[in-house]
Amino acid sequence: MTDAAIALTKTKPRPRRQWAPYLLILPSLLYLAVFFAWPMTRAIRLAVWDETALLTLRQEAAAGSAAAGVLPQGAAVSLLDRRSNLAAEADLSGASLTETWFFVQGLDPGGNAVAGWAPESRIRVRTTDAAGAAIGGTVRPKLGAGADPLTSLYSEPNEGSAIAGKLEGSAAVSIGEQAVLEVWFLIEGEGEGERISGWAPSRVLQVYGDGVSGRIDRGDTGQLTRAYIQRMLNDRFFRPAFYTTLLLIVLIIPVQFALAIIMALVIQARLKFNTLFLAIFAIPLAASDLAVGILWYAIFTQSGYLNSILQALGLIAAPNAFLTADTRYWILIAIWLAEVWRATSIVMVIVVSGLQAISQEVLEAAEVFGATLWQRLRHVILPLLKPSLQVALILRTILALQVFAVVIALSGGDVVTVLANETYRQYYTLRNMNVAAAYAGFILLISMFSAIIYLRMVRSSEEASA
Amino acid sequence: MSEIKIENVTKRFGSFTAVNNVSLTITDHEFMVLLGPSGCGKTTLLRAVAGLGMADEGRISIGGKDVTYLPPRERRISMVFQSYAIFPHMNVFDNIAFGLTMQKLPRAEIQTRVRQAAELLHIEQMLDRYPSKMSGGQRQRVAVARAIAMQSQVLLMDEPLSNLDALLRLEMRAELKRLLAELGATTIYVTHDQIEAMSMGDRIAVMRDGIIEQVNTPTTVYDYPANQFIGGFIGTPPMNFLMGQVQRRDGSVVVQLGDHSVAPKPEMASLLAGYDGKPIILGIRAESMETLASPAGDALMACVLVVEPLGSQNLLTVAFGAHRIKVSTHPSFETRADADVWLRFPADKIRWIDPEAKRTLYPK
Repeated sequence: MTDAAIALTKTKPRPRRQWAPYLLILPSLLYLAVFFAWPMTRAIRLAVWDETALLTLRQEAAAGSAAAGVLPQGAAVSLLDRRSNLAAEADLSGASLTETWFFVQGLDPGGNAVAGWAPESRIRVRTTDAAGAAIGGTVRPKLGAGADPLTSLYSEPNEGSAIAGKLEGSAAVSIGEQAVLEVWFLIEGEGEGERISGWAPSRVLQVYGDGVSGRIDRGDTGQLTRAYIQRMLNDRFFRPAFYTTLLLIVLIIPVQFALAIIMALVIQARLKFNTLFLAIFAIPLAASDLAVGILWYAIFTQSGYLNSILQALGLIAAPNAFLTADTRYWILIAIWLAEVWRATSIVMVIVVSGLQAISQEVLEAAEVFGATLWQRLRHVILPLLKPSLQVALILRTILALQVFAVVIALSGGDVVTVLANETYRQYYTLRNMNVAAAYAGFILLISMFSAIIYLRMVRSSEEASA
Repeated sequence: MSEIKIENVTKRFGSFTAVNNVSLTITDHEFMVLLGPSGCGKTTLLRAVAGLGMADEGRISIGGKDVTYLPPRERRISMVFQSYAIFPHMNVFDNIAFGLTMQKLPRAEIQTRVRQAAELLHIEQMLDRYPSKMSGGQRQRVAVARAIAMQSQVLLMDEPLSNLDALLRLEMRAELKRLLAELGATTIYVTHDQIEAMSMGDRIAVMRDGIIEQVNTPTTVYDYPANQFIGGFIGTPPMNFLMGQVQRRDGSVVVQLGDHSVAPKPEMASLLAGYDGKPIILGIRAESMETLASPAGDALMACVLVVEPLGSQNLLTVAFGAHRIKVSTHPSFETRADADVWLRFPADKIRWIDPEAKRTLYPK
């Protein structure tokens, strides 16, 4: 390298960074994050994450106390002790067992005025104010021999606190403020092979009628789980839904592509009523899939158009029942027809735009050099359409995996069912959003899988040719 | 035999008549150039011959066979397109072999013919390349090779060089001419470039507004243009046109250009006599004038406005009276702007043009 050349490389100006493209792409990234990535991860989490899998037991009957051990959801436990605990307002919303304490004032057996906290089990509320809050009552008399006939008042709303005074049974009291306490239990159960005991709030427990046994209703820590996916796989509708979806793809897509290419070629030929053809072909683009399903239902139903026409022509004596559980194949045929009719035009639109991108002179060259219509299609048009066909194929396969409204309209969703319908059923009818999420995730998985396969197919043929 | 006969062909697009009642015969092995400005109908006529846009009226026959309404593939023609129109998804070999493959020729035959065509165009090294990785000139060669591999008797070319840059065009022009002379196919070559037409064609058909204005050899069209349009269209710089007036003086006919008078050739004099007192257009090419640096008896004085030294010649723009004309001189002729020069019009180089019909007058 000469000196001049070295000097040249040293002083070579660095290209200025272009920030505008990054700024322009920012809104789309935000959009993707907020409306796609976030809900998507939430949904996938629903399918594989059990939010209430494990319960941490506490050494003391308080939320902040040290952990004593972990028990899984559903573990059987025995209840050893019980304590009421002042709980934060927010925590109480899910509490199943609560205890109200009253701050009461009255006269003790010695005639001295005493004030302190007593649980609701010791105070009978007699008067309430206009808003329904307790303002006065009497102390419940204690029954049974040997018991202390006096009721203790505590300085805090807690049986462990100091006794502020004692009241006789039936003594009149005025009630001041109230405190709601949550009941905690000291429980013992089997976890990971050893017996673990500790305190847990009542809200996470199911207490059986005997008062000494129960089970852990829900945990407070999440854990990865295969349970929802397993439940989806074990669902008796899973296999029929999966197979029907695949069957519909195999039946619909090849026919759609053949029709779409023919339609696109008709349009490309610029015949006399070209715009009319295009309008007719494109009408289904504007129809909602549910409307299309209902339309085809109107054709195939027992008193529908098809039966009416066949009867009017004298071809059948009585209406055929097409859409019944016994004639499942008729339902499939109706779905097939409806989907082909509905979604072929979107493929056609893509193919037409692909055709228009092919240079007119290239097509003419094929014609001049002796290619027949079929040869032109096979050797020139289809190879040049490959990118458009690939886009259409990915789009159509993904949409076919989501087929739903047409199936619902024609079969009600029971006789013939598809994956999207099962997602819906799990979510709305069975109220099981975790399994619904597993179904949705499954659809996502096979959509991505098919898209990757299509992309690979085209790329490998490009590599082979390059 | 593959004579192409175009008889009274008309082609309309809506209300626009692109080709208007055109007749033209291209003899066997002839190289015919269709020349004209854009929109003159030359490509439309070529496409009618190719079968890519059927004629509305008239008859086209190739080698005696009526092909007017036959599809392109039944006409036994091959064609080179303006945009080359090579297949982007095929490599060079498959592109050249396309027509042969469509005819389902044996593999060995295709191999030899593709190789021959590729060698003729010096692209035998790139048979497995794809068009996207080739330059314009190389694609052009592929398009020509594809056409000649067909070995058809008729070759149609639609502005094949117009998408190349100037230097490459010059090179390809000569090469195409050599190649086509070797092949001997009957060729129709469409171009709007008059230099291309002059240098390549056996005959030139000059078209304007859907009509063929003149068909003849390049030198004839150049020297004896049929009308003012052709004189102005062909040649760089175009023919100069000066408006004069015919006057009969002392029994002889002269044309008055301002205060200078020009005497026509004797055989023209009788023709011009009919224009006595009327205006007439004098056409003369830049290189046909004699330029003198000093006054001479019958020379016309003009003032130099611009001098353009072009190496092989000096191109002067000169003015006399209200006229501005281009004059080309030998490069050794020295002059400068604002200097005076004296021009002489040789009588046999002057073309006389009827100012109304714009047709050139020739003696019977």
